Amino acid sequence: MSRVGASLRRSAESRRLPSMGQRWLASLASRNGRERVELIDLSNDTPVPLNGINQADSQTISLSVSGDGQRIALVRQREERTELMLYRRSVSALQRLPINPPGVPRSVSLNGNGRLLAVQVSRKGRWDVDLIRLP
Amino acid sequence: MTRHLLLVLLALGVVACEGRSTRAPSGLLSTQQQDPALSGNGKLLAVIEDQNGRPTVQLRNVEGGGSLRLRHLSRHQPHSSPSLSWNGRYLAVITQRGNHRLVLIEDRLSGKAHPLRLPSGRDPVQVSLAPDARKLAIQTADQGRWRVEVIDLGGLLEPDGPGGQRSTSPSEPNR
Repeated sequence: MSRVGASLRRSAESRRLPSMGQRWLASLASRNGRERVELIDLSNDTPVPLNGINQADSQTISLSVSGDGQRIALVRQREERTELMLYRRSVSALQRLPINPPGVPRSVSLNGNGRLLAVQVSRKGRWDVDLIRLP
Repeated sequence: MTRHLLLVLLALGVVACEGRSTRAPSGLLSTQQQDPALSGNGKLLAVIEDQNGRPTVQLRNVEGGGSLRLRHLSRHQPHSSPSLSWNGRYLAVITQRGNHRLVLIEDRLSGKAHPLRLPSGRDPVQVSLAPDARKLAIQTADQGRWRVEVIDLGGLLEPDGPGGQRSTSPSEPNR
């Protein structure tokens, strides 16, 4: 076994919540005490722009990148609310996804093309997993 | 008029992106499920369920909900952070061996288990398997900081990518 992604250690003070796509690594990278969602293209070891995904007043607690690297699902805490979000790179848009019936999301997983999302949700003190089909 | 049209289109776009939500299949009605992981093709779902007080990984068909047998993952609990390859041939999960946490990859086609010792020697906290199973990202703790290592599995596992790989997918009877 050999290591790849030589710049991972150099490029951030700390890094957590890894999620692998086919040639992509999404993670939460910390620099100067601030954590940001980052997507690295492992074919050239370079971060790609994610305009609009990082907002100053939010804290990401789970993330998942689709296999093709086009979509990132995340759970974030913002203004005392826990929100399920979907970022689409093609339009640089971050959008809140509703949870029905209502619950508090905790952990996410996208499939390869980003059209199916599994979400761990807390409802009435128990953990369920919801499957959300996305257009 | 134009503004009206824009508002309608915006509303339609929001509705279109809401998606349809269903409850994931579970083996027992009362079982709680955590830490979901989908296969790349979206046909399989791995979750962590409590079994006799021990967090244990379970693998299910998304359609139909049947449980699939895991040969090497009925012990070494607690399990955490499951991750599947594209067709679900490989399931990576963190297991417990003595005082150490260990990544174990089960090859559901060959029936082999691949325990991984990290090059750094540190214990894994979270893992993510690339859909084609060529790489594995591992979160560890190092001197009070979180680190992510990506290791190349090319010499260890056959790829399990989309397209043309379905013939090598495992076909196991439901439990």
